Amino acid sequence: MKRRTLIGTAAATAVAPKAFAQGPTEKVRKLNLYSWPQAAFPQSYQAAQLIAQQWRQLGLEVEVKPLQRQAQTQLIWFSRDKWDVTMWRMVGRPERSDPDEFLYSLYYSAYAEKGYNFIGYINPEYDKLAEKQRTQLDKEERRKTAFQMQEIINRDQPQAFLVHPKYVTAFNKAVFKEDTVVNQQGIGIRNIWTFLTIQPLGAQKDLIINSNETINATNPLYIGGAVDSWVTDLVWDRIMRIGPDGMPRPWAAESVNWVDDKTVEIKLRPGMKWHDGKPVTIDDVIFSFEAPAGTKAPMYKPFVTDIAAMEKVGDMGLRFKLKSVNTTFLTASLAKINLIPKHIWEPVLKDLADKPETAEQLKEVSKIGSGPFKLVRWAPTEEIVLEKFPEHFNAPKIDRWIMRIVPNAEATLGMLKKGEINFLGMFGGDVDVLAKFAKDNPDIATRTEVDIGFEYVAFNNRRPPFDDVAFRRALSLAIDRRLMVSAAWQDYAIPANSHVSPVLSYWHDPAVDSMKTGLADAKKILQDAGYRVVGGKLYYPVGKQEKLTTE
Amino acid sequence: MRLVLERFTHNALALLAVTTILFFMFRLMPGTPLAAFISENLNADQQQAMLEQFGLDKPMWQQYFIYLGNLVQGEMGLSFFQRRPVTTILLEVLPNSLILTLTSLIIAYIFGVLAGAWLAWKRGSWIERAAVPAVLATRAAPEFWIGMVLLAVLSFNAGWFPSGGASSPGLAYTSNWQRIASWDYVHHLALPVLTLALYLQGLPLLLMRSNMLEVMHEEFVTMARMKGFSEWRIVIGHAARNALLPVVTAFALGVGLSMGGNVVIETVFSWPGIGRLLVQAVSVHDYPLAQGAFLMIALVLALMNFVADLLYMVLDPRVSHGRKG
Repeated sequence: MKRRTLIGTAAATAVAPKAFAQGPTEKVRKLNLYSWPQAAFPQSYQAAQLIAQQWRQLGLEVEVKPLQRQAQTQLIWFSRDKWDVTMWRMVGRPERSDPDEFLYSLYYSAYAEKGYNFIGYINPEYDKLAEKQRTQLDKEERRKTAFQMQEIINRDQPQAFLVHPKYVTAFNKAVFKEDTVVNQQGIGIRNIWTFLTIQPLGAQKDLIINSNETINATNPLYIGGAVDSWVTDLVWDRIMRIGPDGMPRPWAAESVNWVDDKTVEIKLRPGMKWHDGKPVTIDDVIFSFEAPAGTKAPMYKPFVTDIAAMEKVGDMGLRFKLKSVNTTFLTASLAKINLIPKHIWEPVLKDLADKPETAEQLKEVSKIGSGPFKLVRWAPTEEIVLEKFPEHFNAPKIDRWIMRIVPNAEATLGMLKKGEINFLGMFGGDVDVLAKFAKDNPDIATRTEVDIGFEYVAFNNRRPPFDDVAFRRALSLAIDRRLMVSAAWQDYAIPANSHVSPVLSYWHDPAVDSMKTGLADAKKILQDAGYRVVGGKLYYPVGKQEKLTTE
Repeated sequence: MRLVLERFTHNALALLAVTTILFFMFRLMPGTPLAAFISENLNADQQQAMLEQFGLDKPMWQQYFIYLGNLVQGEMGLSFFQRRPVTTILLEVLPNSLILTLTSLIIAYIFGVLAGAWLAWKRGSWIERAAVPAVLATRAAPEFWIGMVLLAVLSFNAGWFPSGGASSPGLAYTSNWQRIASWDYVHHLALPVLTLALYLQGLPLLLMRSNMLEVMHEEFVTMARMKGFSEWRIVIGHAARNALLPVVTAFALGVGLSMGGNVVIETVFSWPGIGRLLVQAVSVHDYPLAQGAFLMIALVLALMNFVADLLYMVLDPRVSHGRKG
């Protein structure tokens, strides 16, 4: 009901289409707006419908075309000149707490052909800033650059940001002490800090969490899927970890210091042990950073390519010499590379050396790490069981961490109620149902967090009229963000206009939040740029020709 | 014997056809397995390397013969995503699928046959008038709906059964046999079996009922009546035996069909079986795993088809005699 009223208001406030000018012209072709199917992602599909409605009032012919996720990825990612506009999303991950990944990769021109800049935004000014922020070790200076970059994107609107979604997770507060969960900025309570500090109240000492995806692999040298990293995170330690505040902090190291702008020195924490009882040494650390450098762990290789050399400093110290100045080294490398035992992996990698296979294809992968949990059992489509490693320097309070694979979203609520799970790590169903469920079940506590990731409409900047800033701005201004939040995301989101989420408060530029939207403004921009509406249809400025067909 | 051989060859050829269709179907489907690996760190060279790893860089006919060659040796390749042998992955979950399917089928068919015979006997009574629409309704209702209703009522609210999975969280067993024989496993199996059995019982029940109605008018039944046998003895001992034949075929085919058709039930009850594996493999373009899962289902189907043929020959001598004549 609420939804319908809102749509009604939006339509009523729209100014009736009026001709900007008359004369012989070239009509803008029909646009296909690709989206996920309604069943797969109802919010995004609803948003696409609303956006199409608003764009039609500019005189555009728009059709919403739902595509299965794989087919959509195939088109958008691998046929980059064959589409005009699509719904898209970037998801939040702990390592994205450093804004570099989004600031750099999304709009860097060298990534336009094959990489993350699939929209084909090319701007040398932006490229320079993207490189610059990587070299600015002074945080304040880097922040200024990050603000400049957000302002450029705000000005150019290479795509239209819609919302940063809010995620709801839940746990049973009759089983766990309520104030012992930890919220991680932009991630929520489903994070390693919670799993380490959460305190059982009674006899149930197992944390049982759900996932709707199966785990593909538990391999410290391979990332097989999103959920895989929940597990590798707990079983294998890293030199640093992203803290609840989003900043990297020393973990397996006692200290991490910049010696100069290309040298980082770490001191290993004393007394650490592998799950097989052997001590963790500085040689293990060196080995862990050398292992991905060859050809045997291609997925982790990018995180070590910046290392020029490693030098031991005493028994417990290690210096990383970098090839270039790189502020993201701590987040992208030290907090990313899993520490693996040399005594187990050296022979394995040696054995692989003259074979075509990589460490990703190993049939038997050693589960020995040094992390706070040991991996004891894994049945891919059923569950994975981790046990507390009591000798860890930050040993968890729970005895076991069990993840159950539950593809049926509604069943997860039944399980939560009955104690078959006691921590709702993800919920694929309607958020309102979850909210009502929590209200009816006083033992269930929910937590909501704004995501680092965002939902947006990607414009193909390669294809006219999207190569025109005025056109993109107009299309972006025509989208009512409050309508997106309330009608499409049912208030489980906040409006977005930046690739740096407001939850990353230090890096987010508040100046870009004040974008004024509205159809009248959108029409004015088009009119000023020479676009015309004739007979209710939008036409290019004089002299510009339509060379493309709808795809 | 010749007939057995003939049927066997027939099924083997069907399997080869299925294999071929599966192989090309997946590869001609839009999309590539690379789409699931999209990351800013995956550059063009790495993508190429990955294609080579998967063997997708070779021409399709070459891939096909490599695949067939491996298959003959019982090798179904490595799953693209799990990086484990497809055979291992399938064999891990096959017992769960078989147990779910067979238990449900047996319950459904025992119930269906008895109830069908009974309803035929009760022809014209109010029981029959009420029961037949009820059976038709359970047969027409979607499986996921029956499943969700049973879950909501018997699990979420009454709390009698677990809400999903095949065993309680964190329980360890020394062997798969020990697990299957445990009370916990049976407890988890109950709701999915009940759902599937409810869905399946309609066919044998209606089949049995109509066969019985036909048989009841045959001369040997009248003869039995004249001999003064009790009604029950006539129904079970004489009529039912003869009405059972088509039900046997339906049973054998049902095993194969519902092996693949358990996708829905397995998803609703988070049951670790082949159906779920299949859906997942198809959605990420894990060709080897998807082909393997389909092939496994086809294999069971062909095998059961063959068994049905054999059973028919044993149960109804006319089948083989007719051929010989």
